[in-house]
Amino acid sequence: MNPTTPMDFVTLKDMLSIAPMAVMFLISMIPLLMKPLLGNRELNPKTVLLYNVGAVIVAAFMTTTIFGPSFGGKSTAFANAIVIDGITVWMSYLVYLVTGVPLMLAYDHVATRGRQFTEFAFLMMSSAIGMLILIMSNDLIVTFIGIETMSLCLYILVAMSKEQVLSKEAAFKYFVLGSFASAIMLYGVALLYGTVGTTYYPDIWVGVTKMITTNRMFLTGIVLVILGFAFKVSIFPLHAWTPDVYQGASTPVTAFMSTAVKAATFVSFLRFMNSEGYAQAPQLLTVMTWLAVLTMTIGNVAAIMQSNFKRVLAYSSVSNSGYAMVGLIAAGFGANYNGAATSVLFYLFSYTLMTLGSFGLVALFEKNENTSLEVTDLRGMGRKYPWLGMALTVLMLSLAGIPPTLGFFGKFFVFSAAIEQDMYWLAFWGVINSVISVYFYLRPIVVMYMSEDKEAEVLPMHILTRGAVILAAVAVVVLGLLSSPVYALVKKSVVNLF
Amino acid sequence: MLLSLITFLPLVFALLICLVPKDSWIRPVALVLALVEFAVSLYLFKVFDPAAPGVQLIERMAWVPEAGITYFMAIDGISFWLVLLTTLLTPIAILGSWTSIDNRIKGFHAAVFVLQTSMIGSFLAMDAILFYVFFELSLVPMYFMVGIWGGTRRIYATMKFFIYTMAGSLMMLLAIIYLMFTARDTLGMMTASLLDLYTLKIPFVAGSFLNPQTLLFFAFSLAFAIKVPMFPVHTWLPDAHVEAPTPGSVILAGVMLKMGSYGFLRFVLPLFPEAAEYYAWVFLFLGVVGIIYGALVAMIQPDIKKLVAYSSVSHMGYVMIGLFAMNMYGVTGSVYQMLNHGVSTGALFLLVGMIYERTHSREISKYGGLAKAMPIYTILFIIVTMSSIAVPMTNGFIGEFMILMGTFEASRPFAIAAVTGVVLGAVYMLWMVKRVFFGPEGELVKDEHHPLHDLSVRELVVMAPLIVLIFWMGLFPNHFLNYSKASIANFVENRDNYRLVLDAPATSEKSAATFDVKSDSVAKAGQ
Repeated sequence: MNPTTPMDFVTLKDMLSIAPMAVMFLISMIPLLMKPLLGNRELNPKTVLLYNVGAVIVAAFMTTTIFGPSFGGKSTAFANAIVIDGITVWMSYLVYLVTGVPLMLAYDHVATRGRQFTEFAFLMMSSAIGMLILIMSNDLIVTFIGIETMSLCLYILVAMSKEQVLSKEAAFKYFVLGSFASAIMLYGVALLYGTVGTTYYPDIWVGVTKMITTNRMFLTGIVLVILGFAFKVSIFPLHAWTPDVYQGASTPVTAFMSTAVKAATFVSFLRFMNSEGYAQAPQLLTVMTWLAVLTMTIGNVAAIMQSNFKRVLAYSSVSNSGYAMVGLIAAGFGANYNGAATSVLFYLFSYTLMTLGSFGLVALFEKNENTSLEVTDLRGMGRKYPWLGMALTVLMLSLAGIPPTLGFFGKFFVFSAAIEQDMYWLAFWGVINSVISVYFYLRPIVVMYMSEDKEAEVLPMHILTRGAVILAAVAVVVLGLLSSPVYALVKKSVVNLF
Repeated sequence: MLLSLITFLPLVFALLICLVPKDSWIRPVALVLALVEFAVSLYLFKVFDPAAPGVQLIERMAWVPEAGITYFMAIDGISFWLVLLTTLLTPIAILGSWTSIDNRIKGFHAAVFVLQTSMIGSFLAMDAILFYVFFELSLVPMYFMVGIWGGTRRIYATMKFFIYTMAGSLMMLLAIIYLMFTARDTLGMMTASLLDLYTLKIPFVAGSFLNPQTLLFFAFSLAFAIKVPMFPVHTWLPDAHVEAPTPGSVILAGVMLKMGSYGFLRFVLPLFPEAAEYYAWVFLFLGVVGIIYGALVAMIQPDIKKLVAYSSVSHMGYVMIGLFAMNMYGVTGSVYQMLNHGVSTGALFLLVGMIYERTHSREISKYGGLAKAMPIYTILFIIVTMSSIAVPMTNGFIGEFMILMGTFEASRPFAIAAVTGVVLGAVYMLWMVKRVFFGPEGELVKDEHHPLHDLSVRELVVMAPLIVLIFWMGLFPNHFLNYSKASIANFVENRDNYRLVLDAPATSEKSAATFDVKSDSVAKAGQ
């Protein structure tokens, strides 16, 4: 907490700023409580879905009414522990989107629908609440609470796929490594507290300007916190859990993890990097540059070697963290924080849409929870399901960065941010990696349309999933062409930031 | 609005094609639509002013104003003929594929129209990012065209084509972004419009490699050199051509390769005049090597289509040396040769496709004595061959002659080396003609179970416009060059200080009008 403002009683304003979260939590509790009250009988999944999606929609509505009028402005609550600004509002909507859509995927999906869907949905909502805390946190302790709330729910969600043999292993791996990373981050927080005397972000930023070149303990603290963030967004060398966990979790959970966790953690990471002082530490810049380069390269090269579609997408998500990191480095170490932060947020938005759609397609194409989808299983799908084939084509081309899709503009803005700060090396590796990635993004298209046809399997008629996937593909093209208003909106959310 | 109409009409047509209910209707509908597009593009003759040296028919509005990206379309004498070539070759390719494409015809024709939009768009875009969007978008339909309807090694070929081209153009994207920030620092606003980028003075240091202009020059050059393709980055081309279906080859050779040479003319030479001047010898050298290497490799090809593909490498080498001669003869010859190559190589690929459809073989050694079996085909093939080896009275002669004159003026050794390519060109083409059409009858020609039929009426209709063009362009080059002369002269004379829209109102009223448009639009962009 900021020591200069003594902790008051909780005011109405404080309560209002967390009202969407509270409502989400309360509504998602209803089905959970109904279940034991009705004699531990499994509820109709439709009821559960309605309650939870309803909660998300109500929360989105409340965000609009409470924060909408002052969009672009900035206010704090709970004695400055949380901050409500444009980024919070913008990213809240993204979190609502990436919670609502995976809930629908989970409702459709065989691995999650039948068993304990009530608990599943509740955990997902709780994880989303952790993310909401994370994106509005203005204090390292709150950040830590957010990350832990988000992650603890995820550990269970990953383990909840009953028949998938890999899910237990994945959950255990994720739990052990995740706890380790949390410990490292907490250690960093402790060191920062020891040197600065608070965990309040603005004080840390001032501390960076003053101490980053002189105080080793402070620098160690900064590095450890960065490592903690890096684990969550799977930056090399802390990315190794990603493919295993993404493969082991049931696909709706993967869709949720790969998008929401990354987006929320990157926002917090971005807030942490908002100090002009970082520019004094070129060594840190060098290290982070190399981390970004290696993340992109290893993600892309490893994705080429995968045959399992979920693992391909997992490595693609690793490499995408690298691209977002390019913008993040430009924001942290460059002179134009707002511009680069805008590019990162835009990138996260485009990445989220594309990845959500891709995992939605994986969820559709999977036969049951225990068969992992190989890329070659897509044979013949392009002809039998022209709309889905088209959607996958668009999403893959967008991930590869082919204009005029949203993915192209995402990369364009991120590379622009790097070039603006004269970080040509980063931008250079960014485009080299885009070329490498073309190979594995095009492979599903090759398999779908260009291989010898085989009798394609009949896919289940999952209206919600299909709708979400097609919408994602349409959005990727339409918002790509209309990237100007989207960019303006993101920019407005950043512009009055600090 | 005419330029936008020409550009996006095919995209609408692609959607219309998807709505056609019956497969048997698709070909006629597609042909009619392509002819409609051609007719619309002919309207350009009415509104285009050949005397104006700058760009005309300007359409300009903001697209992503936050990053200075505009939707800026305009045409000048250089892009004029390339647009018409695109709209002409598309119906020809559709009619030419009437019987050869027999599966997924709906997807095929939709891809042709999307490709047409992206090609026309890249010739008309005057905003670097807009150009990049069209330039990259053109990869997607061609990727599908080769990958779905191609030959046995189609997937290898199409992946190679896509990745090769994309690798080059992404470096160009970085260079464009760099230019946009340079514009922001000197002009005070982010902009990707060529109008503004041409005014930039980018620092150049002769002799050193690590200076902005040289690096940008090579970043752009790499992208376009791959597309042209120049030796030594040409290796995707033979693979793509051999595997592509006939209409794919026609469009690839006829139009898509020109996107590379057009890029040199529109971006590389005027944006980086000092670097282009200083490093011209590199491109003259690579161009000459390409001419000779392409010809030598073509000579030993056992496959007719591969031979034609390598002849493209050779012919595009001429275009490149003409451009880098950077004088009136050279550049005019290059622009003309781009059209010639589109017509004559397009015609060659169509002819190869016609014989392939009959025998399902392109091996030269299996033919021989074809002249007796298919006399009309033989006559047409020989006419096109004459055009390809630049015999006087055909279009090829005018282009190559002017290029060689220009190169001679610029640099004699390169001109002397390039002339040998003319001889080599005659060697590989005539030797192929001799082996295929004359001499003892080959096994495919003798085959009594599959007698060869001469060209059908449809095939004659496909070839007729190209044959007419070969002679028309060979006998009356001024009918064509008059439209480009002013633009090329403007480019050659003001190379160090090139402007899309001339500041000083020239003789005609039209350029005065464009001047107003410019100041108007600059004022708007500045706000």
